[in-house]
Amino acid sequence: MISGNESSSVDVPSVTADPVDDAALAQVMRVVPLGAGVLAGAAVALLVLGYLAIYLLVFLPRGGVG
Amino acid sequence: MTEQSAHVHERRILGTEMLWAFGVGVLIAAVLGMIVFTALTRDINPPSNVEHIDPKRLHLSGEFAEQNLGTTVGADGSVTVRVIATQFMFVPRCIAVPRGRPVTLRFATPDVVHGLLITGTNVNTMVVPGFVAQVYTTFTRTGDLLMPCHEYCGLGHSEMWATVQIVPDSEFKPDRDGRVSCAQR
Repeated sequence: MISGNESSSVDVPSVTADPVDDAALAQVMRVVPLGAGVLAGAAVALLVLGYLAIYLLVFLPRGGVG
Repeated sequence: MTEQSAHVHERRILGTEMLWAFGVGVLIAAVLGMIVFTALTRDINPPSNVEHIDPKRLHLSGEFAEQNLGTTVGADGSVTVRVIATQFMFVPRCIAVPRGRPVTLRFATPDVVHGLLITGTNVNTMVVPGFVAQVYTTFTRTGDLLMPCHEYCGLGHSEMWATVQIVPDSEFKPDRDGRVSCAQR
């Protein structure tokens, strides 16, 4: 049992040095948005291509309606 | 990270987000533009007819009385098809239409909500009690197409379907009353 004057090891914040320095972080953050953009762009491009294929090759040839 | 580099970093993120928002805006405008363009040039629109009819009396007299159902060719050559959707059949069960001519399809129901589509075409509508569902279309190929009910209407729903018989215009010959029936095959 822990008395009021004592503290457990859980309460002591572990102070460790950040292994990533600012320069490395800045370097990574310069590249990450480009990768996210390429990934999201490719996903959206595939979605739009699928939509266009169905719209142009299936929907329009089925004729007018109203 | 220094304050200056953090500021540059935030500006880069903002620039990326603005670029993405612009790209998405262009895509949305292109899709909407394409829909409006085809609606105006190729006459492709969602069916939007609003017309009331008394579901309790529609079979007794008027447009949807038994003798008026099926395909009719008007004096001006216009082709109109009138069908009743009821639990669990379409009346009539086969409709004949010409290929390459505008056709007006009109549906009504005396009981519950039904729906229909004609396979391989863009014809697709609900049939709601109290309203006349109307769809214009031009069939582009000959043959027999299936027209099932696509709105669950009761235990016999899966047995509710009709046939659309599309014939070449040269074989589409109305009788003296302007009526055209399906060819017996």
